Amino acid sequence: MTSANSYDALVIGGGVNGLAAAAYLARGGKHTLLVEARETPGGLCDTTDLGHGHLVPSVAHALYALDPRVTSELRLTGHGLKFALRNATIALLQDGGGQLVLSHDIRAGARSIAACSKADAEAWPRYSNELFTLGRSMRALWWDLGGKSVRNRLVDQIARTGTGAWLDSWFESDALKTLVAFDASALSPLEAGSALLLVWRAAQEMCGLQGAVAFPAGGPAALSMALVKACETAAVELRMNARVAELAIDGNRVTGVRLHSGDVVMAPLVLSSLSRRTTLLELAGGAGLGLGERHKIADASPVAAAKIVLALDKLPDADGIAGKLNGRLILADRPESYVLAHADARAGRIPDDLVMEVTFPTVTDRALAPQGGHAASVVVRPVPREIAGGWEASRAVFAAKALSRLNGRIPGLVKHVVAIDVLTPDVLSSRYGAEPDTPAVSRMLSDWPARMRTAIDGLYLCGADADVAPAASGRSGRIAALLAISATGSR
Amino acid sequence: MRYDAAIIGAGADGLAAATLLARKGLKTVVIERGDRPGGLLSTLEFHPGFRASPYADEIAAVPPNMHWALDLSRRGAIFVPAPCSLAVWQERRHVLSASAASPVASLLDKISGTRTNIVARAEQQAGRSQGGVFSSGRRHSVEPWPGQTWSAHSLHALLADALADEDAAAHLAALALCGRSADPFLRGSAFHALAPGSGCSGVVMGGLGRLADALVRAAEEAGVEIRCGLDASDLKLDNGRIAGVALVDGSEHEARAVISTLDLKRTFLSLFPWQALPRQLIARVGAFRMTGATARVLFALKQPPAFPSPQLLRGPIHVAPAFSRFAEANLAWRSGSIAAELPVTLRLVSQADPGLAPRGGAVMTATLGAVPCRLFDGAWTKEKRDILRDRALAAAELVFPGVTDRVVAAEVITPGDMDEALGATHGDLWGGEIAADQMLDLRPWADPPAPRTPIRGLYLAGPSSPLGPIATGAAGVLAAQAVMADFNVVPDR
Repeated sequence: MTSANSYDALVIGGGVNGLAAAAYLARGGKHTLLVEARETPGGLCDTTDLGHGHLVPSVAHALYALDPRVTSELRLTGHGLKFALRNATIALLQDGGGQLVLSHDIRAGARSIAACSKADAEAWPRYSNELFTLGRSMRALWWDLGGKSVRNRLVDQIARTGTGAWLDSWFESDALKTLVAFDASALSPLEAGSALLLVWRAAQEMCGLQGAVAFPAGGPAALSMALVKACETAAVELRMNARVAELAIDGNRVTGVRLHSGDVVMAPLVLSSLSRRTTLLELAGGAGLGLGERHKIADASPVAAAKIVLALDKLPDADGIAGKLNGRLILADRPESYVLAHADARAGRIPDDLVMEVTFPTVTDRALAPQGGHAASVVVRPVPREIAGGWEASRAVFAAKALSRLNGRIPGLVKHVVAIDVLTPDVLSSRYGAEPDTPAVSRMLSDWPARMRTAIDGLYLCGADADVAPAASGRSGRIAALLAISATGSR
Repeated sequence: MRYDAAIIGAGADGLAAATLLARKGLKTVVIERGDRPGGLLSTLEFHPGFRASPYADEIAAVPPNMHWALDLSRRGAIFVPAPCSLAVWQERRHVLSASAASPVASLLDKISGTRTNIVARAEQQAGRSQGGVFSSGRRHSVEPWPGQTWSAHSLHALLADALADEDAAAHLAALALCGRSADPFLRGSAFHALAPGSGCSGVVMGGLGRLADALVRAAEEAGVEIRCGLDASDLKLDNGRIAGVALVDGSEHEARAVISTLDLKRTFLSLFPWQALPRQLIARVGAFRMTGATARVLFALKQPPAFPSPQLLRGPIHVAPAFSRFAEANLAWRSGSIAAELPVTLRLVSQADPGLAPRGGAVMTATLGAVPCRLFDGAWTKEKRDILRDRALAAAELVFPGVTDRVVAAEVITPGDMDEALGATHGDLWGGEIAADQMLDLRPWADPPAPRTPIRGLYLAGPSSPLGPIATGAAGVLAAQAVMADFNVVPDR
């Protein structure tokens, strides 16, 4: 290949998974180009300045099980990645200030649970143990490239069980069930197989050597920067402001891409970190897909997430709450809240029972805010992807509802807010190209090649959609690159 | 008294099981709490001259081999499958007729094929002998059951993906969800498509009570002893094995095998003193989800309502079905309130079966879904019952304008009434929530596989067993086959 616009491999999208994929491809000897539509790399793993030096996570505010192999193989620590917090705790903000806190320390968790229910405190270690056992049995499928599909009796059963029923069979305390259910809240607790998401979380706790849920020092952008450096070290060519218009396909093979600028880039290997829908329908025009499959992919989930970021002049301090604002804080009233919120969101209404995850990144990383100042990052999920009359008209109502709920559980929060940004699903989509990423139970039970290969030779998915459950982990980028390299190597 | 087998409950399952066992020479007794056999299969005069089957008009299909073995038509049970089903909205209607070849018909064929395969698979499991000495089924078959892939589908996906016609999809959803409560958008809700109405089910001429009479006749001819008006108080255990049944009158029947046709919770929580069972078993039974959602309103009409094409009234009439309506009603039901828009299915039962009404009159039933067994704001008072009657009438007005003036009497049956009359926990006529983790091999639990239970010699037929909600009598047949396999009796073929 001699032409300037000709590469061995091309990666679409410069988010965490795209960057990881590009770095691995280049390390595998491929002359690699990464194209990113926005001005800066990072995708959803970005940091925004809300003014006066309040740095907040733009979208993703915690890393869920960053693949430890990505960290070590790409030498991310050497490229400047540090963690402000590893093994973040998860806590339920309850009415009246009580707090239930869980962490990877099972005994500490049991002590906290004992305040709600003695029986649950006794069940907690058994429950954790069972989840770890299940997670371990899925290891081959979830962490290894050539994993064989698992036919384990209990996994088979849990893949048909909803989170609600599963937790009801273990615990009696509503508070504990509410808190634990949060990690599976991407699906309604009544959905068959949603309990599998809890197993996936347990598997992450087990395998994430860097801590299952971690905050990078300097905000999420720090991870993106480290990955960019890894790409540069591996001699990946990064091209910003380059939006892909369509894939070039010859017969059943991808030959490259055409950019919006009109440029054509040739590459026999294309890895897309965009969603399955965008890649296969918009960029590939549905090539190689049957009618039924096209129909299935075209159905975007009606349920999405929204993001609210707040700059604070100081932390609220009523009733000593300031000391409790670390890790992940969950705001949900009761187990049924998830059911109601999902049903409301699907029907296109702003849920009454808003479920939120709040982090105060400045509590563990003082550099992210000016002296005395703080910032809060709130993920609200589920919310409707589309709403009657458009999100534009409902944004203020939504923000007011969310803030009043936040203020109810973190008294005094609102009066310290100096700046706010509300990213409803329409904003996330226009600004970051973010699409609702609802996990699919059947995909969690299929292997990596099945999730990554497409009907078009040479085209692979390497984004969050190809992961076991959507997350910015670098895992799917790494595995897609290895898969693509091994496929071309054997040819 | 000493018996080989004792059967709790004289419904379709109990009577079918008893007949098959007695024909093999086993000394068999059926114990029924009610004054007469039949259970759900009953027909009564709810207003002078007006008769109806109070709990259901239509039942799940009776498996053909059972129909044949028990010779039900000769014994007076004449099944008349509904020739059509009607869905009516404000401005339009949709007709589903049994004969027409269409995407709908081929989807229904596919569903009924799945049901047949499930029945066959369950039979295979029941017939496999556990060697007399009961082993706890540790050999788990990894072969998935027919229909298992449905756990990944919502009812909406199953129907809407196959049918371009939205009205047809909503109509089929109404057939599947008649009298139930479920969110059709949630994964796993596809199992509702195995509901009675969506296959070759039927109405029995003269009401469901006639089917009970036919089953009783078959049982008596085989030499079964049927004892009504007697509650079983306790199952007797000897060394962890079933030894017999104690009755409320203080008498005891010895029996080597007991088949319970009660639901799972009633079987374990009411037939055993709690301390007799392992705590873990009690917990498993407790975790099984059961909640009723069905209410019925029986209307006596002084004359049949006017309708332009009366031939379309021989089947169910679903009022304004819509997927979103089922989802919203389900939400209200979960919180214990009566939804603003309840799913309603009407049947002018006297249209196909004129004998149910006096000359010139008519009988209309309304089956309401998403009706909570317990209301969040108190008991089912007269006023609350009247709400159900009024909702049913409002729905009927949409189909038959002016019908309200023809009503001479109305009888409301709530889920709580069904609990009391039928012994169905919380009025759940299907013996446990229809959900992916409570169907097929997981119903009522994976280990030991149904109809066997952790108690040696106790077999579970009835609605909580795998075939309970999808076929009539089949669970009883399976339990009988399991007893024969375990006792080395050569079954009928």
